[in-house]
Amino acid sequence: MPGILPARRFEGWGRMHDRVLKYWLIAPALLVIAGTLLYPLVSGLWYSLHEWKLSDSPALGPFVGLGNYVVAVSDDPDLLNSGRVTLIFTVLSVVCTLSVAMGLAVLLSGNGRLEVNARTLLVIPFAMSPALVGVSWRFLLNPEFGGFSALIGALVPGLKGASFLADPTLAMAALILCDVWHSAPYFMLMFIGALASLPQETVEAAQVDGASRIRLFFEIVLPQLKPVLAIAVLLKIIFSLKVLDQVITLTNGGPGTSTETLAHFIYQTAFRWYDVGYAAATAYLLAACMAVFAAIYFQLITERRPA
Amino acid sequence: MTEGSSLPGAIAAAPRPTRAEPVRLSSRSRRRIAGAARTLTILLVILVFFGPVVWIMLTALKQPRDVYSLSVIFTPTLDNLRTAFASPYFLGSRTLNSIIVTTGTIVLSLPIATAAAYAFSRFRFPGGNAWSLGVLATQFIPPVIIIIPLFVAFRSAGLLDTRLALIIANMSFVVPYSIWMIKGFIDAIPADMEEAAQIDGASRLRAIWDVVVPMAIPGIATAAIFAFVVSWNEFFYALVLSRQDAVTLQVGLMGARTERGDAWEIMAAMGLVIILPMLVLSRYVQRYFVAGLVSGSVR
Repeated sequence: MPGILPARRFEGWGRMHDRVLKYWLIAPALLVIAGTLLYPLVSGLWYSLHEWKLSDSPALGPFVGLGNYVVAVSDDPDLLNSGRVTLIFTVLSVVCTLSVAMGLAVLLSGNGRLEVNARTLLVIPFAMSPALVGVSWRFLLNPEFGGFSALIGALVPGLKGASFLADPTLAMAALILCDVWHSAPYFMLMFIGALASLPQETVEAAQVDGASRIRLFFEIVLPQLKPVLAIAVLLKIIFSLKVLDQVITLTNGGPGTSTETLAHFIYQTAFRWYDVGYAAATAYLLAACMAVFAAIYFQLITERRPA
Repeated sequence: MTEGSSLPGAIAAAPRPTRAEPVRLSSRSRRRIAGAARTLTILLVILVFFGPVVWIMLTALKQPRDVYSLSVIFTPTLDNLRTAFASPYFLGSRTLNSIIVTTGTIVLSLPIATAAAYAFSRFRFPGGNAWSLGVLATQFIPPVIIIIPLFVAFRSAGLLDTRLALIIANMSFVVPYSIWMIKGFIDAIPADMEEAAQIDGASRLRAIWDVVVPMAIPGIATAAIFAFVVSWNEFFYALVLSRQDAVTLQVGLMGARTERGDAWEIMAAMGLVIILPMLVLSRYVQRYFVAGLVSGSVR
């Protein structure tokens, strides 16, 4: 124990009792978390109870109680639209991303040279910033000289020369495409890890029985991946609910408000219209939705790893 | 990925034992076709996922007139980069800002995170596990909530459009996540060695520095790569908190949108500078960043 033997260096400080030392060790981290997360969280809640146009005054405006929340849930068609957009985006991006990721995982889980190299290359889209991903796809989907829109035009004649970002439905499709491209590689690696940890015996037994590969996958492999799949679904829901960077750089919510997600709506309200009180209230509504999924997520990961 | 499996806490694809498939005589050619189809599919996947990256890099090196054609054959030029470095795009100062903000975030965050990770790993706190789980839980707060009060606070402190503001904002996600990552590694280091060092007369702080930190280097490296990637890629906080002086590469991308339309060759040139470190580090990014993230979120 410290203090029993003669001290050399770090007199005093270093000989500090563990009971005190442990708090010193976490103090700087707690300071950062308190300052950059807890303080904004609490003061954001306080703002949300006020009417505050930052463009009019740098000081907090009049207290309106739950007024902002009441308007938000009962009387804001734009917010309702954003909620609908977010719901559609979340459902489709979760389903598409995870299906593509699972397909990629099955395809690339081997240790052949091609598979290993493909995995390394596929990490790049995920390591790219969401902002750049949005800009890149804006370029690739340009109807005149975009490489990808030319490819789609060749495959689907109906979409030849279509302006993806000018049509509400196609813009949403573009946003989902861009998100799948960006996040599927991450979930692929998660699934490859899970596939590798499956017991080989069950798979082999099924193969001896002559189960076809596809049936084998759906009846033997997929059920065993359920725990990982559940975590992936929750994580992806949370990621999709807060999607923002790509929205700003790919569509900026348009055309009209057809791709205006909740996070984008809040961003515009706060930093374009400077309606800080209302923006804070809607941000809390979004956070409440995310908290539900985050709570389930934490339930799952603590179950998996008993402390 | 296989190398990654030696890391504690990193989920990696373990080498699969090669099994002799049940051989049916007539199936040889069928298997050959299946193999070819598989190879072709993998190549297609690479085209879809890596093609766009190549396309952006090629565009950066094209002459402006070639940018607006689909040709792959062209005379490469550095003109776009030259234009991007000049006014009004200032790629040079944007790059410098990104480097300073990223480095600053890493240098400030890692010691703070390592100290906290050690404490959470070795000591018991009243409330138990709730502390370290609470640290991770902060990462589920949507950034749009955090940024509003941060913007107001930085504005009244006169810190808007400074690199310091961006570093502080980045620390809000780098510190908690790094604690969580490094703690996983320290958990795997047996406490015997530091106890032995302490019996030999070293203080606990000295034991941490001499014994624990060297053994936790893989974990700290994982956190460093993570911190690098997320700070380098951070867009939203920088978009709100910077105007002119502190604009980073990511926000600079927006500057290539002019009234006359998007200057794609400039965006591509900026994109090239943004992707380059990721390409250079791609092996480490895969081993540490993604593996770290995956293990952090699954365990």
